[in-house]
Amino acid sequence: MTLEFPEEGAPVLVQGITGRYGSLHAGLMRAYGTRIAGGVTPGKGGQTVQGVPVYDTVREAVRATGAAASVLFVPAQSFLSAVEEAVEAGVKLLVAITEHVPIRDCLAAISTCEASGARVIGPNTPGVILPSERLKLGIMPAPSFREGGVALFSRSGTLMYEVADTLSRASIGQRVALGVGGDPLNCTTLTECLDWAARDDDVESVVVVGEIGGDAEERLARHITEIGFSKPVVGYIAGRSAPREKHMGHAGAIIYGDYGTADSKISALRAAGAKIAMTTSEIPSLVISGGS
Amino acid sequence: METVRLLEYEGKAIFQRYGIPVPRSELSMTAEEAAASAEEVGFPAVVKAQVLSGGRGKAGGIATVQTRAEARREAERVLKLRVSGELTRALLVEESVPHSDELYLSITLDRGRREFVALASRTGGVEVSSLPREAMAEVPVPLSGLSELCASSLATKVGLEGRTRAEFVSLVLDLEKLSREEECELAEINPVAVRDDGGVVALDSKVVLDDNAIFRHPEFSRIPPEDPLEGEAAANGFAFVRLEGGVAVVGNGAGLVLSTLDLVSDAGVKAACFLDLGGGAQRERVEAALRLVRRLPTAKAVLVNIFGGITRTTDVAEGLRDVLAEAPMAPVFARISGAEEEDARTILAGAGVPVFRNAQEAVRAVAAWVSR
Repeated sequence: MTLEFPEEGAPVLVQGITGRYGSLHAGLMRAYGTRIAGGVTPGKGGQTVQGVPVYDTVREAVRATGAAASVLFVPAQSFLSAVEEAVEAGVKLLVAITEHVPIRDCLAAISTCEASGARVIGPNTPGVILPSERLKLGIMPAPSFREGGVALFSRSGTLMYEVADTLSRASIGQRVALGVGGDPLNCTTLTECLDWAARDDDVESVVVVGEIGGDAEERLARHITEIGFSKPVVGYIAGRSAPREKHMGHAGAIIYGDYGTADSKISALRAAGAKIAMTTSEIPSLVISGGS
Repeated sequence: METVRLLEYEGKAIFQRYGIPVPRSELSMTAEEAAASAEEVGFPAVVKAQVLSGGRGKAGGIATVQTRAEARREAERVLKLRVSGELTRALLVEESVPHSDELYLSITLDRGRREFVALASRTGGVEVSSLPREAMAEVPVPLSGLSELCASSLATKVGLEGRTRAEFVSLVLDLEKLSREEECELAEINPVAVRDDGGVVALDSKVVLDDNAIFRHPEFSRIPPEDPLEGEAAANGFAFVRLEGGVAVVGNGAGLVLSTLDLVSDAGVKAACFLDLGGGAQRERVEAALRLVRRLPTAKAVLVNIFGGITRTTDVAEGLRDVLAEAPMAPVFARISGAEEEDARTILAGAGVPVFRNAQEAVRAVAAWVSR
């Protein structure tokens, strides 16, 4: 199923809203303009958190609010059951902030979603933000983002904030900023993000923030060529100097042999016509010169 | 960062539980024990260093011995051996298995395709690492398990016949069951020895468990990292990788620290460590991290790169100030950006820490300092 975001003002749930992190960010998302219509924590139904009613089950929350999107702050052990419960209740877009999700739970979530036309962004994602629609489903610091035409897709959270901030200071706004997550498996891939950017008329250019490990950037590069993606793409890959066989903070950031090196990603993106920034500070000028 | 990779003997113990044939063996901690073990399993025997690093054979970590005296001598040598810097943790003394052929088999996660796959090849042993992936036979492994039909098709692709084929099919099914039930990221047998009678034996094991699934498998304890600082970092909730240069690189967020390492390397100097404080780091974690950096012998300078978002820049600044006040530390260069950055700067200025507007300037300053 294709990637789609809720419309401006659409109701959104927070699963795990009574936790420290869940309640903090429910408040921050609301303050940004997202309509957080309800929270879910089993056994805590009837409470109110940040002015938001809490329900015991996703089904009750969906019935009361009509929400079709949910942000998950549940513990890793509950990730799969929380996804299954939400999908069964009719939620179509799940943003999973949860980190440390077992690989097989992630694979099971992907197949659950495929079977029912739902989608997970993450896990271990900072979320997604669409500044022009005042829609923030995640934990990113809002002041770094401003309205504009760049679609920013990132494998790293903090680098996504840093790059958005660098762009914003150069008066280059973002149509969307989305983190696919730092784990070895992403339920929504960079390639699927690119398809959305191809469909969305407000996207003028794409910035991809990749890192060592896996082959997501190589797949993205192939996809750019295959679909004849015509908007300018700027790529940045973190970890050019990283040693092999070491997990560099993210579970997904590891080089095995020649698999997952920055060189491989940079040359694949270059071959697909992307401009490569060697440092994050070069990104704004490459975006500006992108069309030429 | 911790990973749960098992040593050969631990992997083989699990193999046995799943009915995978392995050579007779004994674990030894000393040369004397190894000599006795060799006699027990019979000569010729094979003495194998138990290490997590690859390239063990090339480094001299495997020796075939004919006598008790030779076993003791080789065991003594191997016990002192380092493979890629890693000290031998124990010895596995095994019967030697005469064989005519070596195959490769693994069940592994294909990240790009987002599924597990069974990979096999007609060529096993050390040459496998130079084989392109396309040279391997493969079948996808559904989450629910592999059917006999699929295992059989893998054996066909590899070109096996007769007894070897039948035993290989069982091996594939057993290894897949092990991989699924124990939640492995990788379960590999390299090589699978084919004996003269056509039977198969797992000569080595490589098992990497899914870290994040350990809560469902409490019987697996994490192997403590050899580097005590890495263990301490994990216990305190931040990610640390020791490197060899002079600039300790500290930041919040794996990607940000990785990108800072690149800047340091581009400036012609080397990093002493990768240290990611993690998202939303609070003061205690910041302080624990900086105390660890203070004990890094190679660190001649510390570069702190913070992009405040979820992490409060003032928390980092206060933690840094307090740790600096406790005891001397290599000079610190900081780049602080984001929410409350002005307050953080004031705190750090009071502690005598130079603060830079952007990462490039901070890297230039730290590079000039360490190469002065």
